[in-house]
Amino acid sequence: MLARRPDDARLAVAFTFDGADVVARQGDSVAAALIASGRLACRVTPVEARPRGPWCLMGACQDCLVEVDGVPNAQGCMLAVVPGMRVATQRGARAIDASVPSAGFAIRDSTIQALEAADARDGDATVLDVAVIGAGPAGLAAATLAAESGLAVALFDEQAGVGGQVHRAITASPLARPEALGADYWAGGIGVRAFERSGSRHRAGASVWALWREADGTMALAVSTGAPLAPVSSVVRARAVIAAIGAIERPMPLPGWTLPGAMSVGGAQILLKASGIVATRGTVIAGSGPLVWLYAWQCLEAGGTIDAILDTTPRGRLAQAIRHAGAFALSRYAARGWELVRAVRARVRIVEHVESIVALGADRVTGVRFARDGAFDTLACDTLLLHQGVVPHLNLPLAAGCDVAWNERQRCFEPIVDDWGGSSVPGLWITGDGAGVAGADAAPHRGALSALSVANALGRFDADARDRKARPHRKALARALRGRAFLDAVYAPAEAFVRPGDETIACRCEEVTAGRIVAAARSGALGPNQAKTLTRCGMGPCQGRLCGPTVNALVAHACGLPFAEAGTFRQRFPVGPVTLGEVASLPASPAAIDAVVRVPDPERSSR
Amino acid sequence: MADARVDLAIVGGGLVGAAIAFGLRESGLAIAILDEGDRAYRASRGNFGLVWVQGKGAGLPAYGNWTQASAHLWPKLASDLAQATGIDVALAQPGGVHLCLSRRELDHRAAMIEALLAQRGFERYRIDMLDRDALARRLPGLGPDVVGGSWSGLDGHCNPLRLLDALHAACARAGIGYRPGAAVRAITPHRGAFALDTAAGLVHAGRVVLAAGLGNARLAPMVGLRAPVAPNQGQILALERVRPFLPVPVETLRQTDDGTVLVGDAQRDTGFDESLSTDVLAAMASRAVRMFPALAGVRVTRAWAALRVMSPDGFPIYAASRTAPGAYVATCHSGVTLAAVHAYRLAPAILAGALPADFDVYSPDRFDARAAA
Repeated sequence: MLARRPDDARLAVAFTFDGADVVARQGDSVAAALIASGRLACRVTPVEARPRGPWCLMGACQDCLVEVDGVPNAQGCMLAVVPGMRVATQRGARAIDASVPSAGFAIRDSTIQALEAADARDGDATVLDVAVIGAGPAGLAAATLAAESGLAVALFDEQAGVGGQVHRAITASPLARPEALGADYWAGGIGVRAFERSGSRHRAGASVWALWREADGTMALAVSTGAPLAPVSSVVRARAVIAAIGAIERPMPLPGWTLPGAMSVGGAQILLKASGIVATRGTVIAGSGPLVWLYAWQCLEAGGTIDAILDTTPRGRLAQAIRHAGAFALSRYAARGWELVRAVRARVRIVEHVESIVALGADRVTGVRFARDGAFDTLACDTLLLHQGVVPHLNLPLAAGCDVAWNERQRCFEPIVDDWGGSSVPGLWITGDGAGVAGADAAPHRGALSALSVANALGRFDADARDRKARPHRKALARALRGRAFLDAVYAPAEAFVRPGDETIACRCEEVTAGRIVAAARSGALGPNQAKTLTRCGMGPCQGRLCGPTVNALVAHACGLPFAEAGTFRQRFPVGPVTLGEVASLPASPAAIDAVVRVPDPERSSR
Repeated sequence: MADARVDLAIVGGGLVGAAIAFGLRESGLAIAILDEGDRAYRASRGNFGLVWVQGKGAGLPAYGNWTQASAHLWPKLASDLAQATGIDVALAQPGGVHLCLSRRELDHRAAMIEALLAQRGFERYRIDMLDRDALARRLPGLGPDVVGGSWSGLDGHCNPLRLLDALHAACARAGIGYRPGAAVRAITPHRGAFALDTAAGLVHAGRVVLAAGLGNARLAPMVGLRAPVAPNQGQILALERVRPFLPVPVETLRQTDDGTVLVGDAQRDTGFDESLSTDVLAAMASRAVRMFPALAGVRVTRAWAALRVMSPDGFPIYAASRTAPGAYVATCHSGVTLAAVHAYRLAPAILAGALPADFDVYSPDRFDARAAA
């Protein structure tokens, strides 16, 4: 189970779920509050009418959709509970009341709107120097250094507070015993305090859903705030954009992974950091990667209980990684990692070299069946936390047109960037784990290097000064990267958890099984995009975030192609939730209106 | 790969090529469909999915008739596909409406429809100009900015991705070969047959049908044909699934059988550019919200741009080569609507070896005549 710590001293907040009273704590997200109250399912899927609960808790998966105060499809993990809020299960496709126009929405004639927008543009001198997207350690460092260099900077982030996922809720920790999260978590405070002093603006709760380069070379961002109850979008312009959008957990598709009660380890860690919710009896962790051990340690330190860890790291990995062991032994990872693993092993049953996993249950997880050395075993559990490493979050770079490349060592696609994070799109830098996973220690230095490059490009200082200022960061970055090759080699995902069997759901949104994707590939789909048109995989509200790596692997295998050649989904905007009304409210140029209306306007042609 | 030999090669695996192949599936010919890979300009993957009649044929009445014929044959196509493959392409032909948001738009529409129906040789059908109240009775939730529109009972829509899937599946079952990743680089007529140099090796074909969309412009001259087509960009917004609310398709807004609402519009000469433009999306979204204000709060899940295959006058090009007998070109920007006539009219004509005289109006020669005039 996942349960709230009894020593949680935050104020109680009462709301209702499907008419029943629920007591949460101030600062909880709707999704966290429901989970803490034992309600694991929050919606019924529109395709197969199956119960579903939150998976990622970081705004990516769209599995936590609920109806809030009559507004359907609200992301429960992104919305804080308020007293008296009426939350209801989202059942299937949302209804719209066609007879009642949306309250408060009035669209003006688009021609008038365009003319006004043109006026506003002419008179608008407020083009930012730098827009930074993402308030994790890379984004904070980039915004800080850019602002300290005298640039006008704004930092856009979806969450209410800074810190990103790795330092989530660092300015508002709910934990009575903060040391449970470990020193590295709290070390993020240095970057936060520097950012707060830097003069950079912070646009919290702001989701960037489109990013493009205008004809004059200015970058434009479409930013949504106020979702889901009062969403408003606006266009922000900047001379340069630094995207520090971080990583996303690699999917771990296995039978039953869509059942309520199955959740990502990263999601569980967010519940711990942001809401003080810990795993208790009945929790099994399955997977591979440093986060498994870090979360288990934090959870135990916070007073939680974990029944077992099913470690899917294949046999022989240490031997394969041995050539990187020297560097690893000298890294911070070695000392910290050893401590974590030792402490967890002392208190949790560990099953090593697990080869296959099935989540059991009809409407929610009731157990887990697993195989080791060909022998099957079953554990009863109500919570199954899955993890298979992290990969760069690619939707924004792909939609912006950035070139990406396959990283064989980390088994994922990543944006192609130069030493400073400069991407293939002029004006767009990508930094931190979003540019290739290197971890939280590396992130601030990568962010700083990108900011130095931007400041140089915008004329704040010359290349010599940039290079001089970069030196300490390059040195620190090299130190932080030490040992990563070892971790990558040990924790590369096992084939069985990358490419699921035919019956397993690969696309959680559209509930498309791996078998259908394989069949599409066999019938001639040579890549994810053809497979998508044939099966609808990747067409749902998560926009292919959760199934992208799986579809790549399935198509590559079925067509006998290298992963690199099978390629990625072709992503388009919007890359974040946005309503049609918000899109409608953006300025439309006269040329755009002409392209749509196509009726000769005697007044306009006479001008 | 060893050289492949077929009786007939269809260049292009989109809706035009697949519909022709479907129409030839019982011909007994050895047929191969040659297609590109995962990333190609695919109008068949980006289209809107209307089976649409009203308004078409202004300037070429025969095209209006051709379109009508296809709409009438569509139920047969849907049923033949369902029978052959079990795939339901979600055809619905409940009629359709074009909505006008200003007096000027409505006047323009009425004048266009009047001129269309008045053409000699045009097979007249009923198009009603409806005022706001008449529309509001049929379309719940219609926005106050809608002043009127035109209505035809012949219009409808389908699921175009499933149509493409079903055509391919039916062809595969009939033994027609599908070769993806086989972009055609060159075609050489040779002794009454054709050698096609593809990315997946040489293909020798007795006959060749060019259905390569925008690629036809490059390929047609290789077999003594012309297909001066150019890209014309359209954009589509796909909204989240909602429960059924829209009983008929609007020309720029429809609800699919799975509940998704699509908003599709815009005609832009942007060349080979499939990038979205937020100001065009804004203009489209603004009109959609004015048509149905309740959509303002519905989430946009996806958006995309795709390239229409546009001839200089907007009408299809169908032609047989005079200098390289056995070579044909077929190209249009209404691959969904015309799928039925492509399968049941065009394919048999190609099989017979000659396009009947009523295809003459679609010859690319018309562009020469126009240039000379």
